[in-house]
Amino acid sequence: MSTTETTRTVSGTGTSQPATAAATPKITYGRNGVPITPGGVKGHGFRTYEVHQRERLGESTAKIKAGQLISPEFVRNPYPFLEILRENYPAYRDWLENSYWITQYNDVTSIFTDDANFETRPKRWFYGIESYGRDLRQELPVLFAQAKGIDDNAAAVAEEIIADFSGNGRANLAIDFAGRYALELLARVLDLPKADIGLFSQRYWRMQRGFNWEPNAEQDGLAAIRELTEYFRPLLAARRANPGSDLISAVAMLDADGGETTAEDLVITLLEQDHETLHGALSNMLFLLLTHPEQLDRVMAERRLVKFAYLETLRHSTPVLSARRFARHEVERFGKLIPEGGMMICSAAAANRDPRQYKDPDVFVVGRKDLCQREPRGQYRADGLPAGIAFGLGAPTKHPAVPEDRPRSLYAITRDTATTAASILLDSLPNLRLQAGAKPELRSLRLWEMHTCWNLPVEFDAR
Amino acid sequence: MESITSFLNTIADTDTDSGSSNADTGQFPLMPLGQACDMGHAPDGTPLIDPRIFNSPEFFRNPYPYYRIMRDHYPVFFDKLHNCYYVTRYDDITTCYFDDEGFNTIPKGSSSGVLGNTQLELSGVEHRRRRNLYGQHLVGKSLDNRMHAIESIAKEMIDDWDTLDESIVQDSNGVRTIDIARAFANEFPIRVVCDVLGFPKESRKNFYFWYNSMMSGLGGSETHHIGLEARQHLEDYVETLVEERRVRPTYLYDAAGNPSGKDIISKLCETQIDGDYLSTEEITSNIALVVGGGGETTRGAILNMWYLLLQHPNQFQAVSEDETLWDAVFHETLRNSSPIGGQPRHNSFDIELHGVKIPAGSLINMVDFSANHDDRIFNDPEGFNIFRPDLYSGKLLRSGYRKEGKCSHMAFGVGPHLCPGAWISHQEAVIGSKILWRYLKNPRINVAKMPKDIDGQSLAPIGLMSVKNLWIDYDLN
Repeated sequence: MSTTETTRTVSGTGTSQPATAAATPKITYGRNGVPITPGGVKGHGFRTYEVHQRERLGESTAKIKAGQLISPEFVRNPYPFLEILRENYPAYRDWLENSYWITQYNDVTSIFTDDANFETRPKRWFYGIESYGRDLRQELPVLFAQAKGIDDNAAAVAEEIIADFSGNGRANLAIDFAGRYALELLARVLDLPKADIGLFSQRYWRMQRGFNWEPNAEQDGLAAIRELTEYFRPLLAARRANPGSDLISAVAMLDADGGETTAEDLVITLLEQDHETLHGALSNMLFLLLTHPEQLDRVMAERRLVKFAYLETLRHSTPVLSARRFARHEVERFGKLIPEGGMMICSAAAANRDPRQYKDPDVFVVGRKDLCQREPRGQYRADGLPAGIAFGLGAPTKHPAVPEDRPRSLYAITRDTATTAASILLDSLPNLRLQAGAKPELRSLRLWEMHTCWNLPVEFDAR
Repeated sequence: MESITSFLNTIADTDTDSGSSNADTGQFPLMPLGQACDMGHAPDGTPLIDPRIFNSPEFFRNPYPYYRIMRDHYPVFFDKLHNCYYVTRYDDITTCYFDDEGFNTIPKGSSSGVLGNTQLELSGVEHRRRRNLYGQHLVGKSLDNRMHAIESIAKEMIDDWDTLDESIVQDSNGVRTIDIARAFANEFPIRVVCDVLGFPKESRKNFYFWYNSMMSGLGGSETHHIGLEARQHLEDYVETLVEERRVRPTYLYDAAGNPSGKDIISKLCETQIDGDYLSTEEITSNIALVVGGGGETTRGAILNMWYLLLQHPNQFQAVSEDETLWDAVFHETLRNSSPIGGQPRHNSFDIELHGVKIPAGSLINMVDFSANHDDRIFNDPEGFNIFRPDLYSGKLLRSGYRKEGKCSHMAFGVGPHLCPGAWISHQEAVIGSKILWRYLKNPRINVAKMPKDIDGQSLAPIGLMSVKNLWIDYDLN
């Protein structure tokens, strides 16, 4: 008896009670236009308390509609929606997209590093071409060739590109610099003939966009994969006969399981990587610096801060918003039973602005004190501090201590590359500023694509 | 390198205004009925399906052309936006429904919060055991005993028409204009369920309210919490009742007023499994399911029957001359315009179906709508024809019926999960319609008052679910 009394008291503090609803009648219309305002029927305290508990567990999700998570507003700026999820429904069950949204920092990192229970499906699974070729990203010669190619060319490519527009006094840095840089650097790593770079970039881009949900883009992507394969076939044969130090040669000379490498393998290896973190981070970093002049001044004054600006950019405005992971088997997480095959949308964008981890998470502060500046993968906390989570660079490094016989992680290589390129840019364009009246913004071009700046018009003193 | 920048600029510009990831904006054009809008083509000419169509008004208005594309080109369609698969052909769906082990019902499915722990979400032996416990009260002799009650409820509702307010009934010049949905079909099934379960008459109003609230809370919608609360109230109420009836069972009465046996709740109170009585929780959650499952569906069946029949005067004439044809009307309506679209399943193992690999645990939508319109099974599937020679409309069998060129419709599903309310809903719809027919002299649809389609042209089509309102004129004398 006393138990009942206690629970009744507790239920009085619950959120949505019939009693309070009756005090302020708000008519909601259900199916068939029937008003469904609770009508004078009161539940026992215990039961109503259970409803309250369910509300707390996020089984009831009145503050957001599933449709909002695929709305044009979300594509433009996902952060307000992600905040609702993170602060109210930390493991939101999205019935519309049949998935779970994981939005708090600790939850995201726990799913992302838990390979025993969750898997990442490769892009070719989404394409439905799993048997097309092999993914050679983890082969050491490939990793070394890539690292060497990037290190050798990072500065030269940046200088070449900047030289193309530095005489004009104005440019759209998002495309003329960031977008072009990522693709041209890749072409250089592959050591492609100069004349082919434009066509290669287009095909590569079409291939990278196609694995998503858009059916026309998917057809386009599949066509691009075939075109790239035919393009690489003679190139691969030529490099096999006459190898250089580039990535194609490394693939051609590779002694892989399952026989001689093919053009298909090369294309799949490229497909499973992406350029988005380099392209998006460079673009977003320049956007953030130019729209936060006081931070730009600090960076200009002290050039070592460029690296911190890059890290803070990945935290504040990560270009790859989320990664999808799938449950390998039925597993209980966050008070929910996740069924086998359950899709977890691990939202880096939400986790990187988790106020439990970062003070004033919406503010862009270069070199912020509560961001890990050393091992920036999220799962390791070298300083005991959380790092910005960035996806899209392949499998995460398994251990912060890199063995002698492996190159640095692709993450570190990208960080250094972006830092180099941005430093050269800041050095080469004196008095860099936004064009008068320009209102740049971040947005995705399509749902689930990278969230970045596409139009960043700047002026500078022409040389 | 000029071509990279111009290419990127093109991408950024062409997609600028699309922001287009939502179909709420009505970006898909409303097509003439029976036609699908163009969503692009593969190089070999195969029409593509943009998954945003599934959220669009165009699809809700008339999904059949899109299911036809799927049946013809993608017997298994992988929707990457909604992370699910669609199976659309009659043969595939029946095969999957029978394979209770390979295709699981979904534990903790979207309804679980609202409907509770029901047999809807069980599989295998446990499902069979529970289902038989409850299902037996909805068929055979138990059902026959309730026929007279169904009849008297229908008559009682029609007698009340004179007292309804003007927004539902209007008389002028000897013609009465009435919304059959609100005057009859919405509430009739709920009253029947209440009667069969053995609830006191006073609780009807509450039940109608709870039922509507629960229905609006399905599917993780933003009104979910209203559904949850309503279910709690229903549970509280049923709990009290169950506790009472454990001590004092109540009885149902036949047409002559003699007790004809205990009501379902009282029977369930006495039911034992392995020497254990059913718990109150078990009883209440299944009553919630019966209340939820018995309402919307039967309501839709009755409205769709009348809507379709009144649009086919020749067939209405035939039914007027031969009352036994109402059974055929019922079955053909459910084939042509089932109020329930399909059932979700999870596959237990990795499978390959029509060349598509489906990893274990994927969500697969079995589209009953589409099976019913599969022209591999039914000739001219879009047409409404109660004399259809290829539709089986005899006694309902759990195994479905596929013989001599006849197939049963899929509105109730087939196999172990065949709707346990199929028989009672059949009786409700047919008895209710027969009685309506006796009252409605020269009925015709009041086109002016019918809700308009989104394009403002035609009547509300029967696509998904059922017509919302059905305005009918009939002669009073």
